[in-house]
Parts: sequence; C-alpha cells; structure tokens
Amino acid sequence: MSNRKLFVSSHAPYWHSRRSISGRSYHIMLAALPALVMGFYHYGAQAIGLVALSMSSAIIWEFLMNVLMKRPTTIGDGNAAVIGLLLAMLLPATTPWWAILVGTFMAVVVGKQIFGGLGCNPLNPSLVALAILLLSWESLLDFDTRLVNYDLPFHMAYPLTALKNFGVSVIPNYSLFGLFMGQQSGGIGTAFGLGLIIGGLYLIWRGHIRWEISLSFLAGLFLTALLFNVSDPGSYANPVFHLLTGYTLIGAFFLATEDSSSPVNFIPMIIYGASAGILTVLIRNIGAFEDGVVLAILMLNVANPILDKIRPKAMGRGMEHA
Amino acid sequence: MEVRKERIVAYCLGIILLVIGIVSYAAFPERSPEEPIRIILKSAAGNVLLDMKEHSSEAGYGYECVDCHHEVEEPDERPTLCRECHLLDKDESEAEINTEDAFHQICITCHEEDGMAPVDCETCHHMG
Repeated sequence: MSNRKLFVSSHAPYWHSRRSISGRSYHIMLAALPALVMGFYHYGAQAIGLVALSMSSAIIWEFLMNVLMKRPTTIGDGNAAVIGLLLAMLLPATTPWWAILVGTFMAVVVGKQIFGGLGCNPLNPSLVALAILLLSWESLLDFDTRLVNYDLPFHMAYPLTALKNFGVSVIPNYSLFGLFMGQQSGGIGTAFGLGLIIGGLYLIWRGHIRWEISLSFLAGLFLTALLFNVSDPGSYANPVFHLLTGYTLIGAFFLATEDSSSPVNFIPMIIYGASAGILTVLIRNIGAFEDGVVLAILMLNVANPILDKIRPKAMGRGMEHA
Repeated sequence: MEVRKERIVAYCLGIILLVIGIVSYAAFPERSPEEPIRIILKSAAGNVLLDMKEHSSEAGYGYECVDCHHEVEEPDERPTLCRECHLLDKDESEAEINTEDAFHQICITCHEEDGMAPVDCETCHHMG
C-alpha cells in the first residue's frame, strides 16, 4: 500500500462551528416568515391561530412521544415546530382544529418518531401528514370550498383546480405577476412566490438547504411543463403558470430539501430534484390530482436510499485481513 | 445555545403558541358573511363555483337578489335559500322543479338572454 495520506486530522482542542440543529430550525422558521406574513395579511387571525396551533401541537406530540418512549426530550432542537409550521403553511386558513391535531400527530408520530426521531424519517413528515389528510378528508384540501367566505381583491378560484377542470381557458383570469406576488388562493404559506424565493435563497445562502435539489426540482418541472405546452398549447398550461401556482415553490425550497429524506451526493440530488419536478407535472397534466408536488416528493423520498447508492468511488484499496 | 436553554425556549414557544392557537380558534370562528361571496353548488356532474358577489355587485353584473330569488317581495327581505323549496327529489319538493332543474333553468335562461355568458356545461361544472 502506498504511503499517501488519505485522511489528515488534528488533535484537540477543536473549535466549535457554533452551528446547531436548533439554529437550523429557527433559520427555517425565519425563512418561512415572508410567505407566512402574506398569508396572515390575507386570511387574518384564523391563519395565525392555525399556524400557532399546528406548531404547538407538533411540539406537544413530540414531547409526549419522548415521555412515552422514555427517550431524552428532543423538542429543544426545534424540528417538531418546523414540521408543524410547514404543515400549517400547506393548509387553507379555515382548516378545523381537529384536523390540525390529527395532521401534526401523523407528521410527528407516524412520520418521524416511530422511525427513531430526527434524521431517521424516510419521508418528509409534513408531507406524510398532508397526504394522509388529503386521502382521508379530500374536502379539507379543497381550497375553493374552504375559502368560499373570503373576499380578497383578486380572482379567488384556486388556480390548479380551475386548470384541472376548465383547462387553459382559465389562465387569462390570473396575471403571472399577481401570482408571483401572492394574489392567488391556496395554503397559508404557499401563495406568495416572491416570499418563498427570498426564504429559499436565504436558506441556500446560510447553507441549510442544498441548491442542487431546489434548482433541479424547478428545472425538471419547468422543462416538463414546457414540453407539454409546446406539444399542445391548447391543453396544457405554460411552464411559468406551473412554476407560480400550487405547492411548487414551497416544495422546491422547503419540502423537497428536508435533510433526512433527500440525497446527499451531487448526482443523486440532481436526479431526485429533477424527477420530483417531472413527476409533479405528470400528475398535474395527466394524473388524477390537481397538484402533484406532495405525492411526487413522497415518491422520490421513497427512492432516496436507492439514489444515494450513486456515490463517489471510495479512495484507497480494499484489503482482506487488513 | 445549551441543550437546557434550547429546551426551555421550546417549552415557552409551545405554551405561547398553544394559547395563541386556542384563543384564535375560540375568538375567531369561521363565520359566513351576511351576503354570500361565493357558493359551491354540489353536483354529480361536477361542482359549480358560483361567484355571488360578482353577479350581484354594481362592479360586476349588477343583478338584483330578486332576479334569481323570485320569492323575495321586499327589498330588504332575506332571500330564501333555493334548496329550501327546490328539493333534490322532485317528488318531495313543494316547488314544481327540483334543485338541479331550478339552477339550470335560471342560469341558462339568463346566460342565453345575456348573449355573452356561457351556456355549455363545462364552463360552469368542474368536469376535470
């Protein structure tokens, strides 16, 4: 074996980078704030109550699980609060309290704790909860019905429902700039595109999420939507419409990038993000659901362990009886 | 931040948010406005999202309540809900026509008179 040094480490004392899991969680909450503030502005006290109840119940479920499983209390890392926050951002402002409690239970207990807690969850906990709510109580996620009593100064038909039901003829009802600035109905924290992009760029800048996943997700979604649109503009919406509506931007920056359920190497991250983007458009354009982001990311979460098998070749040489 | 301090912050955050959540849900329950803004008409052929405000406001189509709610006699009288007279089942209905026919009759007739409004099924019914 050559004497080339493969790994060099120095002795203690070490210098702590001052980064912590709780810091990461609070940075994610901070990044979500611009999009949330727009939701609060549109939907008022009901939205504030929903977010508060969702975050607090997620913390309580995690605390109860820690106690029941006789494990150290982990609510201090802020991850439960983030799960509650992201789930709340995806829901309409009029979601009933019991659905929040069921949703956060599904997210924290079924989505995370039974797998072993932080870092062990194979799927994004918030998306697990949302998928269960969507499949169990479809009407909870029917934005047109849930937001029927809100009178906001823009076209209030949920863009993706309108697109699914009435085709591209509805697109002139929405201005792309308006969609970008949050002038659309939807989840509390999903409508304000500019706010989500600012939050996402902040997280990328601070190194809390990987740009490879976000960018490849958006690129995959954009290119697939473009191909559909070019092939039949009379049936399929333009890619910018897909980019600015539904859960696309929150998916790209806050959901697909969840660390435990996404790959860590460059090529797997690109494949993961792009595939989720492609699948999202396939579900939206030819699938049964209006928005494909939730199910597409969950599908790719499942594929994550296989994708992460694609990794750089280990340096050095294997030796038997070493 | 030390683990103990992190935990204290989380306890405080959880309690404060729980109080805000409970108070918000108790103090601001979902209320239907005096005059409906939009209503969803459930239908086996696909739901219809009817924008009441657009139909009744001056900035919209400017129709009076009585144009559709034909039972209204006084201007300030609260209109009767369509389904109170026009029941789903025609045989059980006091009115001559059931809910579905009542809506079709009033919507399509009015849209045809307007000349510009849609009269085909798929423009109103969610048929995705």
